[in-house]
Amino acid sequence: MLKFRQGMLLGVCFFLTLCIIYFNDSGDWGGMMKVGFIVNPIAGMGGRVGLKGTDGVIEDARELGAVPIAGEHAAAMLAELRRIYRNSDIQWFTCSGEMGASILEEAGYEHSIIHETSADTNREDTLAAARKLLESRVDIILFCGGDGTARDICSVIGRKIPMLGIPSGVKMHSGVFGITPAKTADVLAGFIAGELKPAEVEIMDLDEGKYRQGEWVVRLYDSALTPFESTLVQSSKLMVTEASDADIINEIAEYIEELTKEEPETLFILGPGGTTEAIAKYLGMDKTILGIDAFAAGSQVGKDLNEAAILKLTNKYNKIKLILSPIGSQGFVLGRGNLQLSPEVVRKVHRNDILVVSTPAKLERTPVLRFDTGDAELDRSLAGSGWLSVVVSYRMFRLAKVQV
Amino acid sequence: MNRNPNGFLREEYNALVEKNFNWQPKTLEGPSAPVCKVEGKEVIMLCSNNYLNLSNHPKIKKASIQAVKSHGAGSGSVRGIAGTMDLHLIAEERVAKFKHTEAALIYQTGFAANAGLIPQLVDKGDIIISDELNHGSIIDGVRLSKADKGVYKHCDMGELERVLKDADSKYRRILVITDGVFSMDGDIAPADEIVKLAQKYGAMTYVDDAHGEGVIGPDGRGVGAHFGIEGKIDVEMGTFSKAYGVVGGLIAGSHDLRNFALNKSRTWLLSGSHPPAVAAAQIAAIDVLEKEPRHVKKLWTNTKYFKKQIKKMGFDTGNSTTPITPIMCGESAKAKELSAFLFKEGVYALPIVFPMVARDKARIRTMMNAGLKREHLDKALDAFERGGKKCGII
Repeated sequence: MLKFRQGMLLGVCFFLTLCIIYFNDSGDWGGMMKVGFIVNPIAGMGGRVGLKGTDGVIEDARELGAVPIAGEHAAAMLAELRRIYRNSDIQWFTCSGEMGASILEEAGYEHSIIHETSADTNREDTLAAARKLLESRVDIILFCGGDGTARDICSVIGRKIPMLGIPSGVKMHSGVFGITPAKTADVLAGFIAGELKPAEVEIMDLDEGKYRQGEWVVRLYDSALTPFESTLVQSSKLMVTEASDADIINEIAEYIEELTKEEPETLFILGPGGTTEAIAKYLGMDKTILGIDAFAAGSQVGKDLNEAAILKLTNKYNKIKLILSPIGSQGFVLGRGNLQLSPEVVRKVHRNDILVVSTPAKLERTPVLRFDTGDAELDRSLAGSGWLSVVVSYRMFRLAKVQV
Repeated sequence: MNRNPNGFLREEYNALVEKNFNWQPKTLEGPSAPVCKVEGKEVIMLCSNNYLNLSNHPKIKKASIQAVKSHGAGSGSVRGIAGTMDLHLIAEERVAKFKHTEAALIYQTGFAANAGLIPQLVDKGDIIISDELNHGSIIDGVRLSKADKGVYKHCDMGELERVLKDADSKYRRILVITDGVFSMDGDIAPADEIVKLAQKYGAMTYVDDAHGEGVIGPDGRGVGAHFGIEGKIDVEMGTFSKAYGVVGGLIAGSHDLRNFALNKSRTWLLSGSHPPAVAAAQIAAIDVLEKEPRHVKKLWTNTKYFKKQIKKMGFDTGNSTTPITPIMCGESAKAKELSAFLFKEGVYALPIVFPMVARDKARIRTMMNAGLKREHLDKALDAFERGGKKCGII
């Protein structure tokens, strides 16, 4: 596909992804939609009995009197889907028994079983099912569970296909969940109709190591795709183009590349996340999604850096720019998933040199940005007047509210 | 290399067709009139921009014919070289007089004005601050510039001020751009407040008044006159292709603006100038607006009647205060169903559906016309009422 700005130079139609015209029927994408379905039957059981989750503690939960709730949530979602989406063009692929088949059956949906679950279903079943669904080339995986289930599925499918969670866990910090089971049905229907497109979100979970030491710290584990409304841009009269996340991030990356060329003396530090990973790729860097990497004068000068390495590197440069992407919905810019960027590191950077990057669609669903470096005074100075200019496209900015 | 040099033409077109995303413009057989013939069917036209029906005004048609006789069919060149005729200059003088500004410049189209001028007003180290709902041609102009861009929430003056404050110390020049009348919702930008805020922060103002020109303000003099701030908007941009019933883009402002714009806008410098018939029609359209206030009056009488009746039926018309009246339908399917019903009943009004508007904000957008008679409006309203009930909207 043509790149945006080539089109722009022609001065014709800049967002070339899709031109949607008002008087035509849209939404009929033809063919069947293949949906994978995984229910974690024990998800959420720990919540009401005061456990942090059900990972590895299911027996404790049962003893404390916990009852399964996931099946109920999944059934509620399917009932709503049946009500709002009447076409019969969904092909279901699922696991046997309570991990999917029995719930689909009750809802009256025909399905194929791709994984026979073990007698006492466990995490291995989720992983195996995700692998088989990927092989079956499903268009999306619908699952019912919490952060643990999301992490397991994402560890198999990555960003190859989108996933969507029916909320049913104790912890649901990840961006893949619908607000309620019924709203999840609405999202799935929108995806099937082609109105919602896969966008990148964070997979978050409790840091179990820290939890064992008595700390409740939620951290970034991975990045997944989930259906969202795209960023829409009117490109001409009555014609709207839907820019994919990848296109928008490319635009942002092009701007960052320009900055690196304009300022060869400046050290650019890129935080974790899918957006910064894509920017790094654009710059020709080798970046891990969770790591912190550095770039200066046209080449990579640091990879997967810890705090000490960052401090050492910063001593060599007079000017430092930090490129950070907020965690969707929750809005953390610092303090979640990037603890290597300690208060000592951040203090070396001028506030105007902290470039927060986000697609407009992600910013739209992130009502407030937060700084939580562990140093309250620094957080206050970063928050400034309570507004921060965020890079949302090539040389384009939007003010976002910052929690003071 | 062995490549098919033209293969992409068909491939990309077919991809659009497959998704139903290709343009399929309907054909008008005869003039764009309040009641006209569209592909063999006589319909009440509720989606043209010919608000005042001036494209059919006998004086304007006559002026065009006269100009062909006196000046010929074409202009012979671009404006800069040998294509500036007396008619072009008279038209510009008349625009400035009509809009109470020092000067005016006429471009080939409204798009040419935005795409040609905006990138010249700001450069690297400057910022354009724009309403999020601005029209596509402004967005194009904005994208062609090397300046940074800040976006504020639709008509949110609090956010505009925050963006201005943030930009104040970071940039050399600041340009605030907005539509005068927003084409999807029919609401009016608070241009008076925008000008006040811009002055406070030393910013330039640029208002694209394509849908306000000939429609809002006394005698249809546009957004500046509407708010009583004539001459205070640095660039008042408009078009002759809508209420004026002709074609062409215009900017009105200071002498400095005109001198700057005509020397710097590549669209203006590199396109042939308007044929004499067009320039003469532009002059005649302003004549008509100045001497026959009844057209604008009738447009508003029709608008008020239509809005009142349609609301009485239980339709939601959003925040519109202009002759653009959106009729909310909810989901896209309902808007399409209602539009198809209306066309069958002889009413031409188009659905605006997702993703042009939010998923639950699909609508029929109607545009009033001064040439419609009460009986036409009643016929259209009756179709809306029956269709609305049939589709379960009211």
